[in-house]
Amino acid sequence: MSALSAIHGIVVRDLTRASRQTGRLLGGLARPFMWLLLVGTGYNSIARLEGGAPYQAFVLPGIIVMAALFGGMLTAIATVYDREFGMLRLMLASPAGVPAVLGGRALAAALVAMLQGGIVLACAPFITPLPASAVGPAIGALALGSITSATLGLLVAARLRSVENFAGVINVVLFPLLFVSGALYPTAGMPAALRALARVNPVTYAVDLMRHALEQPVEFSAGRDVTVLLGATAIAFTLTALLFDPEQRFVGKATTRA
Amino acid sequence: MTSSTPAIEADGLGRDYDRVRALGALSLTVPRGGFVGLLGPNGAGKTTAMLLLATLLAPTRGTARIFGLDVRARRSAVRRRLGLVFQETSVDGLLSIEENLRFAARLSGLGGSAVREAVARAMSEAGLEPRARQLVRQLSGGWRRLVDIARATLHRPELLILDEPTVGLDPEHRERIWSILGRQRREYGTTVLFSTHYLVEAEPADRVVLLARGEVVADGAPAELRAAVGDEIAEVEGPGAGRLLDALRQRGAVVSVRRTERGFRVGIAAGRANPMELAAGARDIERLSIRPGTLEDVYFTQTVPESP
Repeated sequence: MSALSAIHGIVVRDLTRASRQTGRLLGGLARPFMWLLLVGTGYNSIARLEGGAPYQAFVLPGIIVMAALFGGMLTAIATVYDREFGMLRLMLASPAGVPAVLGGRALAAALVAMLQGGIVLACAPFITPLPASAVGPAIGALALGSITSATLGLLVAARLRSVENFAGVINVVLFPLLFVSGALYPTAGMPAALRALARVNPVTYAVDLMRHALEQPVEFSAGRDVTVLLGATAIAFTLTALLFDPEQRFVGKATTRA
Repeated sequence: MTSSTPAIEADGLGRDYDRVRALGALSLTVPRGGFVGLLGPNGAGKTTAMLLLATLLAPTRGTARIFGLDVRARRSAVRRRLGLVFQETSVDGLLSIEENLRFAARLSGLGGSAVREAVARAMSEAGLEPRARQLVRQLSGGWRRLVDIARATLHRPELLILDEPTVGLDPEHRERIWSILGRQRREYGTTVLFSTHYLVEAEPADRVVLLARGEVVADGAPAELRAAVGDEIAEVEGPGAGRLLDALRQRGAVVSVRRTERGFRVGIAAGRANPMELAAGARDIERLSIRPGTLEDVYFTQTVPESP
């Protein structure tokens, strides 16, 4: 009961905070729409993919996943802010325990990811025809990709001590995950080494699953995509719980001002 | 667990950070409803002791029980009985007062109507109702601390652990906070363990534990500790201060001595000698005052090394 109450409290608190940081939400949406509208329009004139599909239509599933990836991971990594400004210790001091705290953070980040990816998905009919039968599977693919993104964000946050490292994380973690995923260009054309990296990148499978949902050409079976995403989520959550040092926030203080 | 089980039982409790000994061996028993102050300079081990008792740090040595529950083995059960106030306020600036309290209520395990009732009562007790919907980032430090106290008390904890709850606050807010804590003790029988650098705040405590360099250097009721440094304190300044001190020593009246910038602070035993009479007519005594002993005298005597 106390774990569920704590998860409920953390989700409500994180979503309330997100709703009051409209600049951050809009900024998070600017990135995918810039890719879709500015880069996509430019590439339309120079790139035609399998079956003569315009680049914008090809990149749409990847951009939906991109919106969710950035929204989910950045919201989860914001745990570092909570660590720095004292709210994390409050959560860690609750009777619910570390798994409930991490679960609440992951769920809240996944909901933010779904919101950002969902807004891009809702605009999809302006880019390419979207059959009604695609909506349900697309929402399902988005939900799974969002949960994976959120837990990957928590894994990054587990050992991140300072908000100063935040920008570095975007460059070192988020962009490589996106670029080596088949979101922006097909993995088939990549060098063998990058293709091998793409195979172990969970985002590759989130993009592929979204392509299934939007009825585009795919690389893997939907079953494999779902299995990999669920597995990656479980592994990331378990690793986070193991790596997350509940004393970290307190030891720093106690050492300096016991 | 019976009603006679102490609120806190610590035996040789200590913690090291790598090779740094933050807390040596704290042994402490606090009965239910007790009001205990932890005093000591920065780095003495007060925060470490509180975090160990609150199950937020694992002890390197020793044991501790909260209401009979081991702090290592029964962390979740211990936390349900605790209300914690950290040195820095733990409130979210982007949420309103009411939202912060709802969040804290759910973290403490409350749900449904219990959340609404607990939040309403905590706001009423702390006088926060008129500002319930105000964002916390718009509040002054004093009001934020009041929200923090309301947060820690809203689930009616049996034990409150407060790490310098009044640090940096004006006298009005300090008084309000002690008034809220007093009410918790009177109405709910809450046990209170607190640390403070405002030593006058520890005077009403049942018991004071004085820490220095990770070790307990004094432990007792404030009156006992004050008596140990003298029934009265004579502050004497001027070139003749040393001669007056010698005269008091010859009469067996000196209980404790601290050198000050221009003389001595002498704890004297009542009835052995009258410093005013001894100093009468001495031109080289520039100032002599006699006052009751305070916890500050105890603090300086026990924690500050005497310069050679």
